[in-house]
Amino acid sequence: MPKRRDILAIVLIVLPWTLLITVWHQSAIAPLLAIRKVCHHLVKEILIIPERLTIHRQRLADDGTETRHETGPATDSKEYCSQDKDIVEVVRTEYVYTRPPPWSDVLPTIHVITPTYSRPVQKAELTRLANTFLHVPNLHWILVEDSQRRTPLVTRLLRETGLNYTHLNVETPRNYKLRGDTRDPRIPRGTMQRNLALRWLRETFNSNSSQTGIVYFADDDNTYSLELFEEMRSTRKVSVWPVAFVGGLRYESPKVNAAGKVYGWKTVFDPHRPFAIDMAGFAINLRLILFKPQAYFKLRGVKGGYQESSLLRELVTLSDLEPKAANCTKILVWHTRTEKPVLVNEGKKGFTDPNVEI
Amino acid sequence: MRMRLKLKTVFVLYFTVSLLGLIYALMQLGQRCDCRGHDMSKDQQISQLRGELQKLQEHIKTSELAKKTDVPRIYVITPTYARLVQKAELTRLSHTFLHVPHLHWIMVEDAPQPTLLVTDFLAASGLTYTHLHQLTPKDRKLQEGDPSWLKPRGAEQRNEGLRWLREMGAAAEGKEAAALEEAVVYFADDDNTYSLQLFEEMRYTYRVSVWPVGLVGGMKFERPVVEDGKVVRFHTGWRPNRPFPMDMAGFAVSLRFILTTPQARFDGDAQMGFLESSFLQHLVTMDDLEPKADLCTKVLVWHTRTEKPKMKREDALQKQGLGSDPDVEV
Repeated sequence: MPKRRDILAIVLIVLPWTLLITVWHQSAIAPLLAIRKVCHHLVKEILIIPERLTIHRQRLADDGTETRHETGPATDSKEYCSQDKDIVEVVRTEYVYTRPPPWSDVLPTIHVITPTYSRPVQKAELTRLANTFLHVPNLHWILVEDSQRRTPLVTRLLRETGLNYTHLNVETPRNYKLRGDTRDPRIPRGTMQRNLALRWLRETFNSNSSQTGIVYFADDDNTYSLELFEEMRSTRKVSVWPVAFVGGLRYESPKVNAAGKVYGWKTVFDPHRPFAIDMAGFAINLRLILFKPQAYFKLRGVKGGYQESSLLRELVTLSDLEPKAANCTKILVWHTRTEKPVLVNEGKKGFTDPNVEI
Repeated sequence: MRMRLKLKTVFVLYFTVSLLGLIYALMQLGQRCDCRGHDMSKDQQISQLRGELQKLQEHIKTSELAKKTDVPRIYVITPTYARLVQKAELTRLSHTFLHVPHLHWIMVEDAPQPTLLVTDFLAASGLTYTHLHQLTPKDRKLQEGDPSWLKPRGAEQRNEGLRWLREMGAAAEGKEAAALEEAVVYFADDDNTYSLQLFEEMRYTYRVSVWPVGLVGGMKFERPVVEDGKVVRFHTGWRPNRPFPMDMAGFAVSLRFILTTPQARFDGDAQMGFLESSFLQHLVTMDDLEPKADLCTKVLVWHTRTEKPKMKREDALQKQGLGSDPDVEV
């Protein structure tokens, strides 16, 4: 007959051990080992770099949202760390066709804001735009979709480029009383998307931080030379340059006097606008954006061609503008437009396999 | 009595040992927080190693691209002609080509002599290139206002590119000749859009390789239909009975076969849509086509076309003699 004393004794013996074992299980010994493994792996990689080795880095943030440093998925990955909730570095090896230049601690980051929307040429436009951006060091691409949800096409494309990006979306409300797919004509295309990007920048960057940055609005069908990005990098407030194929001219450009100051606009279409310049013709220093948090593109009641002015007049005056591109004499950006592809042979029901992504 | 005493001591001993063990274990777990400090240095080590790794890879990449001679060369023949958007098109095309290892760009201008714009552009592009020119005879040239499909375009220029390749092939010897044996030729128009993966797909072509092309033929994409690894027919919305109902951007040919088939050229008088066939039928039959891009299920190239920019204000100004500075190259 077990005596009370004996039971007590047994309990007192067993209890601490069970406690220990359970706690030990839950403890984070695993990360310790994993980190060691990652460390070993990296050392191994450095010592035996095979010719076509590349590495993608993926930071699995706790909330799973797309962070700026996310890069491509791998069909063939070697995961060394457990799927912990902690921030864990997963090292993947995979041949990638290209990679952006290494990030420099010295160069100001160029934040390129691109609004985009779904249409047949979208993937093509974004592909060739990405091919250009992949040559620009310290570029951060903020792609804002005009859609209810972020589309898988764009998500996948961004991951595969290897660029430093942020993927946002906001849908422009449509006026269904007009033709089926036209946007509200009073809101110029891309405005809400650009404003969202500006808001994101203001929420992400502290105006006191020393992070230097330049903000540029790049539409997805224009053509940009690589020299343009280096010209805009030295922007102190707002810099301007000529843009080809706008305003019904070969190019529109700011008028620059002998002292190197902008005093007017060389355009035919309403040269008396406060800023008679195309969206692709100026860049703004990030500090100025953060310093004036109320400055946004005006959504409604904006006359054609006054969109850019609606933002710039809240940020600078004409005399503050910095002319670039050899005092505005060189063309470094072209306002190209891509033809709408003729899809007559698709017919009403669609001829081609809808599962193939174009 | 002695027994009880012994048991008691055993118990006491056991207890003490357990307690000590427990305390030690708890301290270990507690020490995990201290290990965070240890972790920190590990993290630092990791990011340091990573930084080193990335630098080394960059180094590899640049030397890879610059001197990558162990993969087959890709010769890209691009016919081009002067128009407003020419420089823009060539600029963004060059940005794509700069990412492709071992690429040789053969630019053929539709002009009586090489233009300054293209000459300067190519020199600054950073690419390996050959600059040729071949003027299209007047009767074959599209006139102002003609729809783009009326006459085949670029035939003479592409033939000039082929002629140069054959001339080079005949003169080559030794290692260069061996490199040419493996090279691939691709016809890339200056307004299309090419993904980087496309070039890796076409690099290893034995004879003629094919893949889908997006936004062409009045459809979202045209492509060869593949069954059992062979092309059996073509999925196209327009005249599928052509020998090769494909777009110029949808195939690549191995240089070896071009060199050994001197009669393979583009027929400038060919009927609408038959330009590609006029060339390919000298080289290959449908059975011998090599399907790429995941057995022709992925679109890696798009037949984009750029709008002609509206110049009405410019034209109006020109009439008044106030046109924009012609010295500024656009």
